[in-house]
Amino acid sequence: MDNLVQLTDVTKRYDHDGTPALHHVSLAVAPGEALAVMGPSGSGKSTLLNLIAGLDRPTGGEVSVGGDRVDQLSETGLARFRRRRVGMIFQFFNLLDDMTVLDNILLPAQLAGLAAARARTRAGELLEALRIAKHADAYPARLSGGERQRVAIARALVNRPALLLADEPTGALDTATGEEIGELLLDLNHSGQTLIVVTHNPDLAARYARRVIRLVDGQVASDAAVAVRP
Amino acid sequence: MRATPPPALQLPPALRAARGGLSGRRVQTAVIAAVVLAATAACTLALGLLVDSNAPFDHAFAAQRGAHVTATVTPSAQLAAARPSGVTAQAGPFAETTDSVTIVIAGRPGDGPQGVFQTQLTLVGRGSPGGPVDDLTITAGRWASAPGEVVLDRNRRGPAPLLGSRLTVHGAPGSPRLTVVGLASSATGTADAWVLPAELAKLRTPHAPPTAQLLYRFARAGTTAEVNADIARLRAALPPGGLLGAQSYLTAKLRATGSIAPWVPFIVAFGLIGLVMSVLIVANVVSGAVAAGTRRIGVLKSVGFSPGQVVAAYLIQVTAPALAGCVLGAVAGNLLSVPLLGQTAQVYGVGTLAVPFWVDLAVPLAILALTAAAALPPAIHAARLSAVQAIATGRAPRPSGGYAAHRLLARARLTRRLPRPVTLGLASPFARPGRTLVTLAAIGFGVLAVTFAAGLTTSLNRVAADLSRSTAVPVQIEVPGDPSAGSGPAAGAKAGPGAAPGGGSLPSPAAQQRAVLAALHAQPGTRRYVAEADDAISVPGLSGRLSLTAFGGDSRWTGYALVSGRWYAAGSDQVVVNTPFLTATGTAVGDSYTLTSGGRRRTVRIAGQVFDPSGGTPEVIGGLTALASLDPQLAVTQYDVTLAPGTDTALYTAALNRALGPDYQANAMSDSSPELLAVIGLVGALMLLLAAVASLGVLNTVVLQIRERVHDLGVFKAVGMTPRQTMAMVICSVAGTGLAAGLIAIPAVIALHHTVLPVMGHAAQTAIPAAVLHAYQPWEIVLLALAGLLIAVAGALAPASWAARTRTASALRAE
Ligand SMILES: Nc1ncnc2c1ncn2[C@@H]1O[C@H](COP(=O)(O)OP(=O)(O)O)[C@@H](O)[C@H]1O
Ligand SMILES: [Mg+2]
Repeated sequence: MDNLVQLTDVTKRYDHDGTPALHHVSLAVAPGEALAVMGPSGSGKSTLLNLIAGLDRPTGGEVSVGGDRVDQLSETGLARFRRRRVGMIFQFFNLLDDMTVLDNILLPAQLAGLAAARARTRAGELLEALRIAKHADAYPARLSGGERQRVAIARALVNRPALLLADEPTGALDTATGEEIGELLLDLNHSGQTLIVVTHNPDLAARYARRVIRLVDGQVASDAAVAVRP
Repeated sequence: MRATPPPALQLPPALRAARGGLSGRRVQTAVIAAVVLAATAACTLALGLLVDSNAPFDHAFAAQRGAHVTATVTPSAQLAAARPSGVTAQAGPFAETTDSVTIVIAGRPGDGPQGVFQTQLTLVGRGSPGGPVDDLTITAGRWASAPGEVVLDRNRRGPAPLLGSRLTVHGAPGSPRLTVVGLASSATGTADAWVLPAELAKLRTPHAPPTAQLLYRFARAGTTAEVNADIARLRAALPPGGLLGAQSYLTAKLRATGSIAPWVPFIVAFGLIGLVMSVLIVANVVSGAVAAGTRRIGVLKSVGFSPGQVVAAYLIQVTAPALAGCVLGAVAGNLLSVPLLGQTAQVYGVGTLAVPFWVDLAVPLAILALTAAAALPPAIHAARLSAVQAIATGRAPRPSGGYAAHRLLARARLTRRLPRPVTLGLASPFARPGRTLVTLAAIGFGVLAVTFAAGLTTSLNRVAADLSRSTAVPVQIEVPGDPSAGSGPAAGAKAGPGAAPGGGSLPSPAAQQRAVLAALHAQPGTRRYVAEADDAISVPGLSGRLSLTAFGGDSRWTGYALVSGRWYAAGSDQVVVNTPFLTATGTAVGDSYTLTSGGRRRTVRIAGQVFDPSGGTPEVIGGLTALASLDPQLAVTQYDVTLAPGTDTALYTAALNRALGPDYQANAMSDSSPELLAVIGLVGALMLLLAAVASLGVLNTVVLQIRERVHDLGVFKAVGMTPRQTMAMVICSVAGTGLAAGLIAIPAVIALHHTVLPVMGHAAQTAIPAAVLHAYQPWEIVLLALAGLLIAVAGALAPASWAARTRTASALRAE
């Protein structure tokens, strides 16, 4: 199987009796793909992403990423999976406020036990590439939204994950900054990074993704390739 | 559909809000209850013992209008007896004499000890038991009404004879006989026995100077200083040299309370530690709840809660679990007091002793009030917040004093090598310095309790060893006694069945000595031995008895712990004495003192002070020839034996018993008294209790911290922190504080130990040898400093595993 992500018949219930957040979802994502997940609020987009990232476990079905059966990993196995295989960015950045930008970026490498020198080199590259090097010693609260999201991206990429997951990465940003971040993600995809982006914004999806799926009430309502824009 | 409760059943708003707050904070509620429980238990125990150690004596003393001062005077003085100022009541003069007597106990079979006992008694002539001072309580029989009748003091040491027993007074001409017609008790022990005044003259030893007893109550006699001033005024009011001796009631009180009193200071110390810890922890819980609930407070206020209702809501949150803790704590305190109070009640025959009811009531109420007071400042702070401000603060990121610490720990050369979860944990105390300080103090007090208890146990064990001398003298041989005196065991204190009355079947002292020495020489393993003689005599000017211990040879090695001075030089007029002797006679090491008994005098020089509280009884230890000239009854009662290294004490003792035959008894000495075991058990229980309280304080801190940082925990896990790393981080967040608390607490403990032990010694009327005080070895100190770390880790373990198990996705959703 050459798919990087493979979901088979995945169901997720938060309550025993309530309607499931995801209902028999199957999905395959090939390496190098850029997939946008759309759908109304509460349709299960974040749930889907969390299952792929190993932040939560499915109630039924199989989730495999890069050959790992994510639904069967132990807690420790999941933590290792998250730090090695996936990077994730969020709408509200989820940076640690009492650590500097550099320390935020270094954290996953340090948790993974990467040698200090190598981790710093890697972090330095990312700071440069994302144009936030001058903020390395600043605290996140002093940064603009766009800068914070760049820090989050750098942190997600520090361990060179095969898969980058973004949950409404532009949701808390103004339009211009949102587009900047979109471009950045597109560039990453062009350099080979597999990408799954959840977004509300059809424009963004159309512009930066090669394929869009729509979730409605926890089910895949449509799955279509996007025509390359003129 | 749920029906709305009728208005009468609706809770007031403050109560409803409190209930809402409580349900979300089950751990903190349990922590408050447990901490208050432990503090109440320790304080109930402390106050109960404090009161009970005084109660039996105080009660008897008040009921009998006990004598503040018992004066022994010469007859001339008694004639001139003027009333010194400050006296409120006076009784006597009563003629007094000290005689050696033989008591024939002719009890019914099975009624306790029977046989012939030789002892010394202070006899006083009194026409009636009543009077303005020392109104005696007759506990059995009746007062003497005819010549030949005697009433014995019930609390006199030695076997208690039944009514109808016979006494033979040896010192008096014609060895008169007396019959016991009653038993009486005097709170201060003014005499061992009473006869009619006319009878006393016939009982005096020839040549003994006639003396009399005067009993006084004074207006001011609360302290030793006041009593001493009273005695000085008495001395001034009597003709020069008229006052032979004066005895303060405080000495008798110390003797009566001696068995609990020494333990009271340390139990009070434990109680206070428990109290301080519970206040700290409750304050931490409430300020944590206020910080976490700031937004909720804002919302409550915006819908119309008054500041008073906000304060009430928080106080109710605290007092409900505290009340439960108080009640259970009082019960636990009572249960813990049972072993020690039971022991005391038995020793002093005061029936059952229990924690007084008012203590059971006052302690929980006081602790409840204190708990509420600890909760008040943060609650008032919450009430003062404006609604808008509260809602805004609730949203804002938590106060962060931790930035610099994080940076330092992430970058510093020293800590860069440490795994990241460890440095993350170590930095977190700096984010909330106030809470960290309170936690530090709680752990510090926990370490204080643990270390103090460990040191105390060491000291108590050393005291036990010093008192029993079992290390120096592992084996003692009891010899049957001196048949020529026609008695059983010579000293009254050595109660037990003697030989049959008039029995002459025992070997002579010389024959006994030959038999014992032959057995000791024949038995392999004997290293050294010495003959020991014990007796108790009455000496004018000393209330109660004077213990005499005499050795028939070199006795330096017999294991007495010297507090000061040197051991006496054999063959000289030197002696060593215990602290009660120095106190009672007002002498010091290096002084000479003339002992008088039954018309004999002997001047001795005090070479040293030994550690032997003996329940407050003065004691003189010296050479056999020197002391026998004072007390001809002093006869060898035992041999102290020390063994060659590697000799099995039990086998040696058994072999010796076989060689010596049934007249002799070789005993292996042990150094554990039941009372001491009870105390050591109690110390252990209190130690565990307070260590648990400290751990609960840590648990509370960690739970607060996890609640506040649940979102950060989600982030950490999202970027790949494993459960193990999460636990490491949470535990390290208090480990540094625990270690620091241990290091700070140790010097405090050593100071406390050096303060409390002498106070305990003072209560037991003895100075403490330096070896007992120095309870801590250097390596022990290092180990005990780690107790803080242990307490911190123990408290953090459970919340750390909760943190490791939180679901990442929901933690991230939590705002
Ligand atoms: N941790 C959770 N506990 C309970 N219900 C949840 C949880 N996460 C999501 N849900 C519910 O699952 C459904 C899907 O939510 P989500 O995946 O967040 O939707 P989306 O990201 O598309 O807005 C919603 O009804 C939401 O309320
Ligand atoms: Mg979502």
